[in-house]
Amino acid sequence: MNEQHDAFEKQLKETFDESVDALDGATLSKLNRSRHQALAELQRPRRQWSRWMPATGAVAAILVAVVIVQSPSAINDVAGITTVTDMEILLGEDSIEMLEDLEFYSWIDAAEAEGDVG
Amino acid sequence: MEVNTAVFAVSCAGAPSTGARALQKDRQLNQFLAEIERRALRIAEIGVRDRDDALDLVQDAMIKLVRNYSDRAKEEWTPLFYRILQNGVRDWHRRQAVRNRVMVWFGRKPSEDDDYDVVASAPDPAGRAPDEELQNSEAMQSLEAAVRQLPARQREAFMLRTFEGLNVAGTAVAMGCSEGSVKTHYSRAVHALRERLEEHGP
Repeated sequence: MNEQHDAFEKQLKETFDESVDALDGATLSKLNRSRHQALAELQRPRRQWSRWMPATGAVAAILVAVVIVQSPSAINDVAGITTVTDMEILLGEDSIEMLEDLEFYSWIDAAEAEGDVG
Repeated sequence: MEVNTAVFAVSCAGAPSTGARALQKDRQLNQFLAEIERRALRIAEIGVRDRDDALDLVQDAMIKLVRNYSDRAKEEWTPLFYRILQNGVRDWHRRQAVRNRVMVWFGRKPSEDDDYDVVASAPDPAGRAPDEELQNSEAMQSLEAAVRQLPARQREAFMLRTFEGLNVAGTAVAMGCSEGSVKTHYSRAVHALRERLEEHGP
């Protein structure tokens, strides 16, 4: 069985090899050119930045992690989430009075912006 | 003359100088690629059914091997080269599938397998008698047709093992799978080919 198996594969290999040997001159010439183009890569200096890419990526990841850990509120602001501190100010007793005089405080803000106050 | 120069450089320095090493590497790669390129082209051609596309894929594989793996041991080059080439063939099929979908979208007939003209892409006679050439060409056409009917992984395993002569370990590296998978794919491929080719006659 194995000998029969091997003989069959050998026959297929021979058929394939004959088709390889019969490649025409134009095709062989193209292969030759391709090979020389590939070998020219050896003369080309490697790009320096590609060597530093893994290290640069790691440093960038560390920096992003540090920023997130150091200032979580910044992330919350960006995401438009009201922080706990803001809620405490709004719900405090003093804030009820502020809400009653909201028009007055709006006027003060506008006046300060225009430089009329003070 | 170049050989003498290289030998002189090596013997003078005791250890090979940078220039001599580069020259030696260039020669080794040139020899390796020259030995492998024709079989690689035919394997790629069977995979994509187009000689020009196969030439492009072989050139890409050569460039990537030289650029990325020239520092590896010589023994590793063959499986690495075929791994690059097989990835190229798979990408080619993905691109073809996308292109065909786009062509269907625009109402154009996609390219079909039947459009491939086996006779037109058959090799030149290379000095053999016409009847012998015809016989070989017909045998190869039958073999190519049978190989193309195999599932992709079986086709890869068969071509790398039988046509390129890679061992099981090398084929596993080239295919990016385990040696056990290679054995399974290869065994099934040979079984299927035997049935098809013996049924229709080699």
